[in-house]
Amino acid sequence: MTQVASHPAAAALNASKIYGKDDSEVRALDDVTVDFQLGHFTAIMGPSGSGKSTLMHCLAGLDSLTSGRVLIGDTDLAQLDDKQLTTLRREKVGFIFQAYNLIPTLTALENITLPMDLGGVKPEQEWLDTVIDAMNLRNRLSHRPSELSGGQQQRVAVARALASRPQIIFADEPTGNLDSKTGAEILSFMKHAVTDLHQTIVMVTHDPVAAAYADRVIFLADGKVVDEVNNPTSELVLDRMKRLGN
Amino acid sequence: MVSPVVRLTARGVVARKFRILLTTLAVVSGVAFVSGAFVLTDSVKSAIDSLFEELRGDIDLEVRTTIAFGDEARGERDPVPLSLLPEISKIEGVRLVEANLRRSATIIKTDGEPLKVSGPAFGIAWNGPDGLDGRTLIAGTAPKGPKEVAIDKSSAKRAGYEIGDIVTIVGPTGKDQFTLVGLTGSGNTNGGGGASISAFNPNTANDFLGAQDQADSLLIGILPGFSLSDVQVSIEEILPSSIEVITGVQAAKEISGSINDVIDIFGKVLLGFAAISLFVSAFLIFNTFAIIVSQRLRELALMRAVGASTQQIRAMIIGEGLIIGIIATGLGILGGLGVAQGITALFNAAGAAFPTAGLTLSLRTILVSVFIGIGVTVTAAIVPAIRAGRIPPVAAMRPELGFSALQRNKRLVVGLTTLLFGITLFSIGLFVQPGGTIITLGSSAIGAVMLFLGVASLSTTIAAPASRLISRILPVPFRPMTRSVPGRLASRNAQRTPRRTASTASALMVGLALVSTVAVVAASVKKSFTEQLQSSVTADFFITNLSFQGLPVAFAERLDALDELGSVSPFRATRALVNGEEKQIGAVKPEMGDIVDVGVIEGSIESLAEGKLLLHKDPARDLGVGVGDSLDFTWQNGTTSTLIVGGIYTEAAVAGNWLISLETLSQASKAPPVDFFIGAKIADGVSIEAARAAVEKVAADFPSAEVQDQSEFQKSQEDQLNQLLAIVYGLLIFAILIAVLGIANTMALSVYERTREFGLLRAVGMSKRHLKRSVRWEAIIVSVFGATLGVVVGIPLGVSVAMALPDSFVTTTQIPVNTIVAILLASIVVGIVAAIFPARRAAKLDVLAAIATQ
Repeated sequence: MTQVASHPAAAALNASKIYGKDDSEVRALDDVTVDFQLGHFTAIMGPSGSGKSTLMHCLAGLDSLTSGRVLIGDTDLAQLDDKQLTTLRREKVGFIFQAYNLIPTLTALENITLPMDLGGVKPEQEWLDTVIDAMNLRNRLSHRPSELSGGQQQRVAVARALASRPQIIFADEPTGNLDSKTGAEILSFMKHAVTDLHQTIVMVTHDPVAAAYADRVIFLADGKVVDEVNNPTSELVLDRMKRLGN
Repeated sequence: MVSPVVRLTARGVVARKFRILLTTLAVVSGVAFVSGAFVLTDSVKSAIDSLFEELRGDIDLEVRTTIAFGDEARGERDPVPLSLLPEISKIEGVRLVEANLRRSATIIKTDGEPLKVSGPAFGIAWNGPDGLDGRTLIAGTAPKGPKEVAIDKSSAKRAGYEIGDIVTIVGPTGKDQFTLVGLTGSGNTNGGGGASISAFNPNTANDFLGAQDQADSLLIGILPGFSLSDVQVSIEEILPSSIEVITGVQAAKEISGSINDVIDIFGKVLLGFAAISLFVSAFLIFNTFAIIVSQRLRELALMRAVGASTQQIRAMIIGEGLIIGIIATGLGILGGLGVAQGITALFNAAGAAFPTAGLTLSLRTILVSVFIGIGVTVTAAIVPAIRAGRIPPVAAMRPELGFSALQRNKRLVVGLTTLLFGITLFSIGLFVQPGGTIITLGSSAIGAVMLFLGVASLSTTIAAPASRLISRILPVPFRPMTRSVPGRLASRNAQRTPRRTASTASALMVGLALVSTVAVVAASVKKSFTEQLQSSVTADFFITNLSFQGLPVAFAERLDALDELGSVSPFRATRALVNGEEKQIGAVKPEMGDIVDVGVIEGSIESLAEGKLLLHKDPARDLGVGVGDSLDFTWQNGTTSTLIVGGIYTEAAVAGNWLISLETLSQASKAPPVDFFIGAKIADGVSIEAARAAVEKVAADFPSAEVQDQSEFQKSQEDQLNQLLAIVYGLLIFAILIAVLGIANTMALSVYERTREFGLLRAVGMSKRHLKRSVRWEAIIVSVFGATLGVVVGIPLGVSVAMALPDSFVTTTQIPVNTIVAILLASIVVGIVAAIFPARRAAKLDVLAAIATQ
């Protein structure tokens, strides 16, 4: 399951991100170095303002660093212009957001294939079928987002992230807007995508239960990586969080 | 497979169809205006072409005197002697020669009043239904005897006459009575296109119409089997050089061409107003797109995050503009057919006789409409599209980052530059007037457009403080707005989105700026004219003509003979080439000096009697001539005279720029004279009542004459100006209506956007009434802001235009305070009207559902 462990899907090297100037300067990221192995499910945790969202935005090429480097595969994001970043997002990266994941005017299937459609690439039908069945969306494909439940919408979002077989998927509080039962369902779908479909997922969350689905949890505080747990349980994560809080 | 951009674009339009409905309406109305102007002019022109072809179908050749310059159809021609008629009849191939004679002749109705017609009232020489002029006999017989007449059926009916009745008709030689023997028509109609036609046999016409054995022209029909050009050449051979023979087809073309020129001008005026409406629509479109883009911020950012490129986002927004443009243009072209029909009906109801022969939708109309409709929509969508492309993908998670991207700009610099450039161009066009009317008008218009864009752009900067100020000083209804919660909310909301407030207000600004410009110019013209009239008119009576045909010369002669009157002078007019330019020349009696004080600064009025010329100081300066210098005149019939300047004057309001005596005119032109108007002064010692009674008694024999004293004359002149003004305002109303639509649109979009906010307000206890009030007051703030901008921009524009107009037209500038105040007050009503629907919508929101909205 983690045979290619030596080859990172993404990495941050001495990454720093500073907002504002002089007195109002905020170090959202402070010399962070971290990598994410292919085929792993990693959770990034930390209290509000710890820099976990900023780290993810920078890793995903949505935001730029003040200093340091971010690699997706072998590609240094700092070397890319807007056009190349767009192509990278379309081909190498998948996204799952907390809410507002789908284009309201497109059907579920059209939302799933949107990144490939935008790139003018034909979806790989076999893989698409695998993903759709894995997310249990077969009979929902022609529905518009407004006709889907919150959980179904998130499953469509996961399917979209998977559909282009990206190098890495970033999820930003994917269960934050869902009740715990639906949330658990989504997390097991994501776990399933990593274990059985060999995908790589990085998830930002503040929910220890969600983090427990991951293979590895990285803890951030004040813009720095402060701790790391492999094969976590929710109790273990909660315990570490409490310690961070103190 | 459909490209995702196309799919997203189409779905975007469908999903927002109600939000873009008003936008579409604005484009539709603009395009309808444009295509309507084309359809109308094309239809009327083709109808006129076929009408004249039909009416003059039997005329193969026409003999007439030549003119030296000017429009062939409208030129003043000397008459043709009837002695030519028997000579031409003898030429081989000629079947029939007819004298064509038409002079003004008014039918007196059975109740003794003159028959009023929207067109001219003519008496004609008629050879009967077998003649060449196309007149048909509907009932009775053609007039044979000296006391017989045939009248067009519709006029006879309106005057209350039937065949066999005795009809009183007033012609150039006076009043006479005739027996009505026939009813005529023209082509397949009952009338003469709004005119009244009294037809006499040629001898009667010659006497009664005072033609003195002369005709306007001779109409010729040729025998079958003869070649038209051969006969034409044979006739030409016997004609003196001042007389020509042309084909009937050419004559018909000249007439319809000259009418079509007038219709073209009418069409161009309509197009001008269409352009204004479209310009205002562009603001509305721009605004809708800008608002929709900010409302779709997260959606657009999400698309960027999953791999849409900047170009794809931009293409999508512009594509939406394209779809709206296509739909609106299609509807607009259809609407144009309706507009054309509506205008035709409107004018015909008002008495004009627009010939109707189906609507002509030419390819040119469609192409221009498509180009303009789609062009305006897409252009207005460009800036919002560019901004949409700037939305960073991270805004999908952090929308606040997206808003700052949407707001980044260099408005102040761009706005100021555009404004200054606009002012410069406008001033150059107006005051320097380089290279003719087209360039002058063009650069002024482009300058004005840039000026408006500059102000619109700058208004963003002042929108927030201006909204605050307006809400502080505008009392609703008894206290300042800001003293109540809805008022404060309204004010804050207007300030919260200064860009939106500004561009919504700008649409109204454009419409109202133009209204204020026109108002200032009109007030200045009116004031200048009134001042000139008051200072220069000393006449006690003016006699004018109701139907623009002029007055028979006998009228002035009979007035002159009255003991109750002192000086009497008619005003005639002709055209002449002076120094290569065509000028309108007035002809009067030297006694005119007692009637109109033209302000002679050099020489004397009496010099007119010596055959000298009087001219206004402007042309005198332009030509560099003074008293004693001479000028060469070429009259329309080709004769020339050299006239010596006998005086220079300053007041042109009544007399025009050039004056000669009636004798000088009659020596130059043999065309049948008519008087435009007559001025008269009361004799010493005669009361105004006695004089008026005497004048009215003579006027009774000339039913189309209207006797006016000084104040009535002044009022009638002002009424004419007011009528013109009413039409201009009426056409500007369209632009203002679109601006009102724009305010309603922005408010509706804002209400939609603030659903959650309104839910909260209702949840914490705001009543529906207060909510409505808050929306309404925001609309009022926006419209008062727009109106103020409009007035502030429009007044200087109007003053500049008034200053640029020639001195003979405008001498003083006047700012019409009442009109300006009325505009500002009306803008409050505009705000109230625009808010009706959005306010109702806001009040209808379900509180719980509104709060649950994302």
